[in-house]
Amino acid sequence: MRSTSDLLVGDEHVVVRGLWRAVDVFRCLALCYAAWSVWLRNAEVAHLPGAILVLAVVAAWTVAQTVRPLRTVRAYAAELAIGCGAVLATRLVDHDWVITAGAKTIPSIWPTAAIVGFAILRGWRGGLAAAAVVAASSFVEVVHPTANTVSNSIFGLLLGGCIGYCVDLARSSHAAHAEAMRLAAARAERDRLARTVHDGVLQTLAFIHRRGTDLGGEAATLGAMAGEQERILRALVSEPDLAEVERAIGGETDLRSSLRHVASESVQLVTPADPIRLTHRVADELVSAVEAALDNVHRHAGDGARAWVLLDDDGAAVTVTVRDSGRGVPTGRLEEAAAEGRLGVASSIRGRLADLGGTAQVTAGPGGGTTVELRLPAKRRS
Amino acid sequence: MTSADARDGRPGSGAQAVRVVRVAVADDHPMWRDAVARDLDEAGFEVVATAADGPSAVARTIATRPDVLVLDLHLPGLTGPDVCAALTAAAVPTRVLILSASGHDADVLAAVKAGALGYLVKSAGRGEFLDAVRDTAAGRPVFTAGLAGLVLGEFRRVRARDAGPEVPELTQRETEILRYVATGMGYKEIAAALFISHRTVQNHVQNVLGKLHLHNRAELVRYALERGIDPVATPSPYAAGRPDANGPGGIRPRRSR
Repeated sequence: MRSTSDLLVGDEHVVVRGLWRAVDVFRCLALCYAAWSVWLRNAEVAHLPGAILVLAVVAAWTVAQTVRPLRTVRAYAAELAIGCGAVLATRLVDHDWVITAGAKTIPSIWPTAAIVGFAILRGWRGGLAAAAVVAASSFVEVVHPTANTVSNSIFGLLLGGCIGYCVDLARSSHAAHAEAMRLAAARAERDRLARTVHDGVLQTLAFIHRRGTDLGGEAATLGAMAGEQERILRALVSEPDLAEVERAIGGETDLRSSLRHVASESVQLVTPADPIRLTHRVADELVSAVEAALDNVHRHAGDGARAWVLLDDDGAAVTVTVRDSGRGVPTGRLEEAAAEGRLGVASSIRGRLADLGGTAQVTAGPGGGTTVELRLPAKRRS
Repeated sequence: MTSADARDGRPGSGAQAVRVVRVAVADDHPMWRDAVARDLDEAGFEVVATAADGPSAVARTIATRPDVLVLDLHLPGLTGPDVCAALTAAAVPTRVLILSASGHDADVLAAVKAGALGYLVKSAGRGEFLDAVRDTAAGRPVFTAGLAGLVLGEFRRVRARDAGPEVPELTQRETEILRYVATGMGYKEIAAALFISHRTVQNHVQNVLGKLHLHNRAELVRYALERGIDPVATPSPYAAGRPDANGPGGIRPRRSR
């Protein structure tokens, strides 16, 4: 449910603002029509001062809403109450036979303004509900419904429902448009910041890192801190939020951005310049396998070990190679571990790749350390 | 300094020690420019020119013809790839080493395709940087893992697009070596793993770079022909001598930026 604070006039769609103005004009015209109708049949009104009093109340509200329009649920509930009260009051000021003959009620079409108001405030549900209230009071008023009562009620329901529906559409398209504008503005601002950070802050941090390392001692510690911040900041400003948009639209994701988070001081992510597109399911599984491999590096390769994650798409298969500079795995130890039922690298990496229809190979790397090669045939990309 | 000294003993660097290597430095950050120039000076290089923007980097490099141009990737006026293309078009023998703050940039690939011989991130240590300048001066490509990944991707892309017979592909061995470089292995480690010499690994990497430049040239020619431009008749504004010998230097492929 929308709260009334959402419905501030300033935020509203131009269609909705136009409808509010139309309601204000309609209310005045409806008052004139009601007064004219009573004037035409003043001879058959049983209690003319009563009818004039009802009209006066309706007129007072009309003037108040024209001079200082209140577009809140409370104001329109009051208007609906006045409208229905005026309809019911018709029974007090008119003869029975006049009403049964199908004469107009005192406010005539005036309560329609309240129906439209509710439709604007609360969409098609609000419009229908207000129309139902007006219809119910006119049925109560006539006691024996005439053809007019039925058709007027149907018109009221149609009006409230249709206008409410149009307002709902206008609002949702307005909201979507505003969201798109907001995203575009946010992206432009982010690009501007990224440029500034790249040209200024990153250069300075990299410089401090370098000079600090040269100077040694405490300066080297400070330099290392600057270097760490430089790396974090660079990752932050180069993060393509476009990938998130693609994720929402395409059902596919770019493996490069899915794996971006694994890059750190000791892990380098090496990628081609072009995206490697995979469906989310496949990409998520591959990412989990890479995470498991890197987790293994952190636990077993020893302190100071570095790792590289290479993404390579040669058309026939997508290959992810995780190599570390650490101590390495003695041949057969992985099989041994799996045979003993200890779930580790072997099961989580090989299992994931087997589920995807790919293969995983864990070998002692050519330069020492371990190389994990995850291979996913092209036809298994989705 | 220790790492630089340690690496001086390897084959190939002895020949360069005789002659002083002449270097030009182009960076729009005065701080960086000065620091790099000072480091080079202290290490025995001769800094013959500095420049703060792209056009002056091109003009001063053409004027002084240094052995190495240390080039910041994002210069005002002309970008790194633009500078490389202009120097190639002007037939300057200077070798270009790209220095960039960002490790992963499509512009790095563009610059290397346009003729740069090496690439290093600014966060690299001083010893690593001086080694890179020495390697570049000796004509040895300076490949980081990140650049190897980009180059590998570039060959994959060209092959996937079925570029035709004029574009050379990587041999299996070259692909293997490029993948090793892309997973952080040094030339020595690769040589040991493949039972080949250090020099052979270097040659393979150099061949990869040569093929990449051929790609670029083939792309430029196709780009020109598609648009009805005669590549030879459109020399670069920077072309001092023989633009036809270096391909269509004045026309560069469009890059989305």
